[in-house]
Amino acid sequence: MTSGKKILAVTFWIVTLTLFAWTIWLLRDDITPVERTMGPIQKVFYFHLPVAINTFIAAMVVFIASIGYLWQRKMWWDDLASAAAKIAALYCSVVLLTGMIWGKEAWGQWWTWSPRLTFSLVLWLLYVVYLMIRPAIESPQRRALVSSVYGIAAFLDVPVVYLSVKLMPDIHPRSIELAPAMKVTLLWWFVSVSLLMWGLLITRYRINRRVRDLNYPVGDETRTESSGRVARAAGGAS
Amino acid sequence: MMPLYRQVILIVGKDVRIEARGRQTIGLVVVLGILIMVVLGMGLGAGKPISGFSATAILWVAYIFGGVLCFEKTMAVERHDDALAGLLVAPIDRGAIFIAKLITNLVLIAGLALVVTPVAILLFRFDISGHALGFSIIIALGMTGFAAVGTLFAAAVSSTRLQGGLLALLVFPLSLPIIIVSTQMMRSLFEGAGSMNVLGLGTLAAFDVIFLIMSWLVFELVLEP
Repeated sequence: MTSGKKILAVTFWIVTLTLFAWTIWLLRDDITPVERTMGPIQKVFYFHLPVAINTFIAAMVVFIASIGYLWQRKMWWDDLASAAAKIAALYCSVVLLTGMIWGKEAWGQWWTWSPRLTFSLVLWLLYVVYLMIRPAIESPQRRALVSSVYGIAAFLDVPVVYLSVKLMPDIHPRSIELAPAMKVTLLWWFVSVSLLMWGLLITRYRINRRVRDLNYPVGDETRTESSGRVARAAGGAS
Repeated sequence: MMPLYRQVILIVGKDVRIEARGRQTIGLVVVLGILIMVVLGMGLGAGKPISGFSATAILWVAYIFGGVLCFEKTMAVERHDDALAGLLVAPIDRGAIFIAKLITNLVLIAGLALVVTPVAILLFRFDISGHALGFSIIIALGMTGFAAVGTLFAAAVSSTRLQGGLLALLVFPLSLPIIIVSTQMMRSLFEGAGSMNVLGLGTLAAFDVIFLIMSWLVFELVLEP
């Protein structure tokens, strides 16, 4: 990393972490009022919703990077897709956990098969499986190919899952009336959670690039048969 | 080059003939399906009548596990003696290979369903007589989408080391919407007024259309000798 990039990265993380501290401070009762019916537990929502939205953004990055790989066969697309899938799985886990904490308080149960919970669970499974299949395929080209096809299929699956869970009986709050102060807090949380997502994504992507450079120093950027064989032989030997 | 339908018929004919002579896959999946139902039937308490809802779930477990085996076997046929290399150099559209493999897979799971479903009716005494048509439509729509996803990923992972486990891992989460929709629709069919749910049918059709088109487009990229 050049020193310019290093300064940029350090600045980014200082800003993001400061913003996080600030958003946590914003949750104080005198700044963000306690919601009347649900009480203090509703404050999980300021974290829950931005993380859920960012899960979709990460999933969309997987989708776009997967199309990019199939189109150009450049390995950096695969590195981007796998980095984004990791973030999507992580963020989706947070969505599930915060949702369950809320559910325990609101409905007295950690888990119910309500449409949105089921939807989050299926989404989580889709991206966890993405991460699980990668190490199982030895050849880097084949791994990138199978992952990108799966990345596209998983994203196309999301709207269908959304439609399918609509058939299930629902107890989730449909819409919540937010006071202006609550909206401001939500907006700040959205900014900091999004910055964190992009920061993690770019960091993970850079790590993926470095690992690939270490393992396959030359000639794996294009999908020519000879380079494929070289990479496959190297993958088999390591 | 011969027309697309001729190419498809030729490949399907070849695959079905291989299966008819060896009867390796269908025998395996039918016995597996019956075994799954016996295990689940015992687990749920033998002798108790089972609701349409649970019966659908049991059937789908048998279908999807058997289905994954079928998808794997139809691609494995091409792995023997590098048959796939021959198929790829033949003047045949890659799309035709996908359609042919999809049809072969559908024939195989239809065969599985034709044996396993009556066994389920017999074992679990669940009554579909009033809703036979709705039941068949839901299962047929669900299986088409399931087979589209399965055919694509069977081709994608067929050259990897862990084919079987990997294929199930890839296909199951993607097929979850089919399971959700068909179990919910069966519930309304058996326990409700017996009418077909338009949203559910639309969702199944949407799944089929999305994954048929996607698999057809991507299939030629994943075929490698």
